[in-house]
Amino acid sequence: MSNANISNEEIMAVFPKVAATMADALGCDVEKVKLDASLIDDLGAESIDFLDIVFRLERAFKVKLPRGKIVEEARGDLSESEFDQGGVVSDAGLARLRSFLNEVPADRFKSPLKMADIPRLFTTGTFCKMVIRQQRATTAAAAPPA
Amino acid sequence: MDEHFRAFSFVDRIHVIQPGVRIRGSYAIPSAITSFPASLVAEAVGQLAAWAAMAALDFKSRPVAGLAASIELLSPVHPGQVLELAADLETVDTEAVAYGGTAHVGGVPALRLQHCVGPMLPLAEFDDPQALRARFALLQDGGAVPGAFGGVPFFALDRTGGEAGQWLRATLHVPTSAPFFADHFPRRPVFPGALLMNSNLELAAALTAQLPPPATGGRWRLCGMADVKLRAFTPPGEMLEIEARLNQLSANAATVTVDTRKGNRVISGARVLLAPEERS
Repeated sequence: MSNANISNEEIMAVFPKVAATMADALGCDVEKVKLDASLIDDLGAESIDFLDIVFRLERAFKVKLPRGKIVEEARGDLSESEFDQGGVVSDAGLARLRSFLNEVPADRFKSPLKMADIPRLFTTGTFCKMVIRQQRATTAAAAPPA
Repeated sequence: MDEHFRAFSFVDRIHVIQPGVRIRGSYAIPSAITSFPASLVAEAVGQLAAWAAMAALDFKSRPVAGLAASIELLSPVHPGQVLELAADLETVDTEAVAYGGTAHVGGVPALRLQHCVGPMLPLAEFDDPQALRARFALLQDGGAVPGAFGGVPFFALDRTGGEAGQWLRATLHVPTSAPFFADHFPRRPVFPGALLMNSNLELAAALTAQLPPPATGGRWRLCGMADVKLRAFTPPGEMLEIEARLNQLSANAATVTVDTRKGNRVISGARVLLAPEERS
């Protein structure tokens, strides 16, 4: 799914609703849910919260969000073994992650990065982009053939 | 006696099933027990949904309690009644099942679940896949013999603190052994989320009894739960701390939040919704 050209304006258009939805899921004040807040490290999210957030976003935005696909999409045309080297993200994989997750502050991409630690990178912005990508896909699927 | 499929199983029959889509079943509440609380009615609906999810994934994964956006407590149920159970699955895959469902008694709605999610985990860690397949076949073919459930076990809630009408705190000692552990689950005993929820509701009810009455007079009624979330398994023998706190109080509505902690970690949370009892 294309990550191309998601503008800041598009992100800010969905951010308030994404933030409110995440605040409800996490039981925290919405002011705490900043665009660059890490769900795990800043907002204390656990795996059940990720599920909760995704399902709530689906209801709020009336889209179907792919779960567990961020790494696969970030990997692009790299093979799994080119991306994941014994549980550690390769240099090429890290470059792909930086590009795909360009909403994440660059200094959070530490090398070596364990595969299991990739979700620690995810921010509110990551979920904003996930919603936007799916909105685009839904619109494209609904468009009449040319 | 082997307590598997007896001590904590609340589906006697499966009447209709489209694996992964919808399922209808029933459960006869034993007459001999003293009560069947709402948390177990919710558990029954969840177990029905679990059968549909497990069947869709060829009994390789099973759901565990996760979260429920809304549990409406519509009318009480009593021993001797038959629960008519229904669950509709929104999605099911190897990560999670999302569903909603209802329980009726004699066509009268007793409970409604909305926007529930159960994380899916490898089934073999919890139970024997072959035993589950056999049970699934039995439930569809005539059903199980009813009456196996021996009643809700008593768990003392030892009060440890509180401020009248504001908050209450209590400890719950999870037993080291109990019949329900053999059924929930045979290969990995876990304190059922429904029993934890029942204790949460008991503490919430105790706090509710301390509130000023609603503006319409009468008493408060527990009418539902919202944002129920279970974060971790509780094995046998744990000591848990439950805190119920008044969150919001108006003339005709109130909310009590209930959190359960194991040490410093919050392992479950919920909002209990109160409304004035309907007066005849």
